[in-house]
Amino acid sequence: MADESKSKNRGALKRKDDQTAALIVAQAFIVFSAIYWFMQIESVRELLQLAYG
Amino acid sequence: MFVSMFTSYPRTLVVVAALVMMLVLIYGGITEAVYPMLLSVFEWLETTWFGVIGKTWGAAFAFVEAVHLLGLALLGGCVLAGDGRLLGLVLTDVPVNTVVERTHRVFVYGLVICLATGIFMACGVATKIYYLSVYWFKMLALSAGILFHFQIRKPLLSHDIHALNPVVVKMVGVASILVWFMVAATGRWIGFSG
Repeated sequence: MADESKSKNRGALKRKDDQTAALIVAQAFIVFSAIYWFMQIESVRELLQLAYG
Repeated sequence: MFVSMFTSYPRTLVVVAALVMMLVLIYGGITEAVYPMLLSVFEWLETTWFGVIGKTWGAAFAFVEAVHLLGLALLGGCVLAGDGRLLGLVLTDVPVNTVVERTHRVFVYGLVICLATGIFMACGVATKIYYLSVYWFKMLALSAGILFHFQIRKPLLSHDIHALNPVVVKMVGVASILVWFMVAATGRWIGFSG
């Protein structure tokens, strides 16, 4: 009984760890992608403005 | 307290350490120090069999590139199907676990095809891509994508998906699509650069 409870607790802890890690990395990727593509679009917009006014 | 945190959240701590290390590598001047040393490796790559075939026999390069694109289509299809299902956009009548497991298997085939053909293609144009910042960016995105898929996404989805926080699952789906989109976009960008 105690072993079963311990194993359940360990499973829940591992799930929490995996979720926290996933949340941190996913946030980093989403923020980085948003900044990167925004900068790329801005640079193309500026180039087009230089070329065509 | 630190020891208990380390034993309770090992993956989270490794992730935070990896992100900090990446920032140190990029902004700490280490990449600038290593970059010149890699030129000789790229010059050597062009002298290998792969490099010589890729450079002198256009048909071989075109054939391998076609296989590379098919591998990319396979990989991209799996990402869209698997992550689309996580977001609840596609295949909603099929259980999430089934879609995730089956797309993962095909994803691995796609990734192996892309890596094998990509190495061949890189050998043919090694000294060109060495000077392209977009190539290095693609390698960074590819490494991040592979690590994310096998070290973050797969362990997370091996749990009962219904027991996971739906926001985290959806964010993982979005992040996965974004990182593989970045790999594909920067890959095509190489073709239009230099």
